[in-house]
Amino acid sequence: MATAGNDPLSQGTTISQMDEEPIIICRDMNKWFGEFHVLRDINVSVAPQEVVVIIGPSGSGKSTLIRCINRLEEHQEGQIIVDGREMGHDVRNIAAIRREIGMVFQQFNLFPHLTAIQNITLAPIRVRHRPRAEVENDAMQLLERVGIPEQAHKYPGQLSGGQQQRVAIARALAMEPKIMLFDEPTSALDPEMIKEVLDVMKELALTGMTMLVVTHEMGFAREVADRVLFMDEGRIVEQGEPEHFFERAQHPRTKLFLSQIL
Amino acid sequence: MAGRRQPRRLDRNIAYFDEPPERRPPITEVGPLAWVRANLFGSPLDTALTLLAALFLVAVCSFLLNWSIGTGNWYSIIFNLRLFLVGRVEAFMDPRITFLFLFIAVLAGVNFAAWSRIHLRLWAILAGVLLSLFVIPWLIASAIPLPPTWLAAGQREVTSGSITARPLERIAFIAGAEEEVAFRLVRPADDAELAQLTSFSDVMTNTLRNAAANRLGSAGRLATIERELAGDRLTGRQRAAHEEELGKTEVPPPVHSTYEVSAYPVLLTLLSGETGEEIFSRSLAPGEELRQTLPRDGWYVLEKRVADSDDSIALLRASGLYPIFDRSFIREGERAFQYMRATDRLLVEGGRPRDAGGADLPMLGIIDHQYRGERPLADFLRLMLGPFLDQLNLGLTLFVAFMAAAYAAAQWLRRRDREQEAPLRRVRRSAVWLWLVTIPLAFLLIAGFGEGGVLRASDPQLWGGLLLTLVLTVVALVAAFPIGILLALGRRSALPVVSAASTLYIEVFRGVPLITLLFMSMLLVQFVLPGLGGPDNAPYRVMVALILFSAAYLAEDVRGGLQSLPPGQVEAARALGLPAWRITLHITLPQALRAVIPAMVGQFISLFKDTSLVTIVGLIDLTGVANLIASQTEFQGLRRETYIFIAILYFIFSSVMSNVSRRIEASGSGAARA
Repeated sequence: MATAGNDPLSQGTTISQMDEEPIIICRDMNKWFGEFHVLRDINVSVAPQEVVVIIGPSGSGKSTLIRCINRLEEHQEGQIIVDGREMGHDVRNIAAIRREIGMVFQQFNLFPHLTAIQNITLAPIRVRHRPRAEVENDAMQLLERVGIPEQAHKYPGQLSGGQQQRVAIARALAMEPKIMLFDEPTSALDPEMIKEVLDVMKELALTGMTMLVVTHEMGFAREVADRVLFMDEGRIVEQGEPEHFFERAQHPRTKLFLSQIL
Repeated sequence: MAGRRQPRRLDRNIAYFDEPPERRPPITEVGPLAWVRANLFGSPLDTALTLLAALFLVAVCSFLLNWSIGTGNWYSIIFNLRLFLVGRVEAFMDPRITFLFLFIAVLAGVNFAAWSRIHLRLWAILAGVLLSLFVIPWLIASAIPLPPTWLAAGQREVTSGSITARPLERIAFIAGAEEEVAFRLVRPADDAELAQLTSFSDVMTNTLRNAAANRLGSAGRLATIERELAGDRLTGRQRAAHEEELGKTEVPPPVHSTYEVSAYPVLLTLLSGETGEEIFSRSLAPGEELRQTLPRDGWYVLEKRVADSDDSIALLRASGLYPIFDRSFIREGERAFQYMRATDRLLVEGGRPRDAGGADLPMLGIIDHQYRGERPLADFLRLMLGPFLDQLNLGLTLFVAFMAAAYAAAQWLRRRDREQEAPLRRVRRSAVWLWLVTIPLAFLLIAGFGEGGVLRASDPQLWGGLLLTLVLTVVALVAAFPIGILLALGRRSALPVVSAASTLYIEVFRGVPLITLLFMSMLLVQFVLPGLGGPDNAPYRVMVALILFSAAYLAEDVRGGLQSLPPGQVEAARALGLPAWRITLHITLPQALRAVIPAMVGQFISLFKDTSLVTIVGLIDLTGVANLIASQTEFQGLRRETYIFIAILYFIFSSVMSNVSRRIEASGSGAARA
């Protein structure tokens, strides 16, 4: 099967446009869960400020791919280089890379025993060792940015799903990351709440954040993405700019997938 | 078209009608009678079960109540309350323990203010209960007279069964100034009256009473046999057996006339026990009464004589003379004696009256002058319930008063700081601080240190009763808590050595019975910690066993909490760049501990009850005290009373603890907060 995207330097059109070093490079990356080959020969690079949306059927390895980028999963072959550091077994390197990457989860994963603002301030205080007053001030600004400053002192259990996810985004942003990873951020939300989260993400994209988004929201992909990746069975089957991708998909698997969801 | 609601407006094809008025939910609650019918007598099976349960309950309760009122000797509780509460601790410990008791009251008050509310109505009820603790004993004492003491005089021996008794000529008793003693020579009309004597009585009176009762029993049996022989319902064999029994049964002559009970006057002389000075000396005729007010507190000696020529027994109904408990103990190297009146705890210290030869005169001791016969309710109230409540009321009132003051102070602070941010959280924080202060403070107050001063070291061997039980429980739990957490983390560790060692520890200690551990600790701890050798340090050695034991169980509780956390929590923390130890400290442990609070309280309760096993290795905890009391001469064999009492104490403490755990669960702090 002739797969597209084997060579990131020739395929990543946006990179040549921006004329910058890629901030994330995955080279010939492979991963297995036991005997199951979940990621096969992944070659991707992401330029700074680029918004990449990853779509594909469930079980295709989308989430595993972005979880490998901040080492929530370990890859077994190939290289992952984030911001010039290679992800290996060096614990200090992992910690340094994680500090540059924010992540938002499908299930929010807020800390239920802490209030919204404590969720946001925990890592800046404990990891970056910044003074509490300053961090709390920043956290309030972040909460205003995601539109829920009035919920600062509530516990996650007292917030709606959309509000929780917005707190989770603020929590990730509080570490001032260079890259944000979104793992199906709207899949656990009621339809009414999806929009409020997507709006925050759009606003974030406009400010020039580098984003890798796994989602089923095709509207978001079309509107915000610089590039769309389609994955199936652990491979990147096809990628391209959204207009090109949605209008003139080349690969039959991509066409089949798009015909089923659009 | 009246009565039909009109569409308000039409919006495309949706019609909005006037909203119906909001309605209350229909009333579904019903009266108590209907509730009973629905829940207790809903079906034939329900009815049968309800009746069966009610029957069982009534039977058990009435048996227990009858026994408690009529027979149970609760003096074993009333006179040993101190032993039950603190064991034999030194006298210098009293203010320290009182301080700790009141400190805990303050702690309770602050905690109520921080985590729940006590409504004014509840305070009123509490105040009412406390007031009644003062009023009820007072009412009982003023409405119900003390029962009399029966004393016999004379020179004749009386035999009943295997017991032969001879009246005492002189008897010493203690009494207070301005008290009145009264004597009446009672002449029973027949043996039935004699058999029904109840209340405190000397051995002689009791022998008379038993003799009369036995004679009545034999006479009754004989009457039955004669009546049956006169009838024609018996078989030949039965008739033969009856005739044989008739030949054997002897009905002795009536007791009251044989011994000429109170037929002649008695000469009573009252002497002061200390000086030997005569207070009165008079002859008392049958039916006559003699009253005398006493000059001072202390010992008195009553001489009771019948004329040498009279071969009779005099039966005296005395009031103002009551049995005495006597105690001896070592004080500052010398043996000291205390004599305490059973009915009101009047106390006399020092020596007791002696006769001319220097021997101790017989005294009105509780062992020889027990309460005999079935006790009527009035005597139960006057002798048992009243004095018991009288002992509790002051302590409980002080506790509640300090708790109320602390509660009010915390509420006032909270109201004063209303404008500031989160005043409740500040009260809660101070409550937690108070808890953290309490535990070392309690240990300091109880154990003490050094040779002299207010806080000098106490002898651990003397700790006992509820005090020892609570010390063992709290120390074991507080010390086991961090060890348990480390073991739980260790068992989940990725390092195989740590994990295997923790698992081995947990499995070994969970696999060995606590009692085995206790015996082992008594013998083995001093090899590892030589400072804990010797009999004095037995409580510390037991603590080591309890700590090691409960750490293993707590570790499993905490591990359960850690395992119940969704993996997303750790992932989110790792994604934020938190190092592993910070994830444990800030994310997983707080959540895991909250989740297992109910399980830990359960562990706490079972540990509290398990401490009773230390009795077996020789410590005198609450259970040990119960055993100890049953071996005192005055209370020999009174195990039932003491075990019922400690069961109630254990139950009260356990139910308070499980109530707290239920509140914690209900408040939602058990898991994620809602």
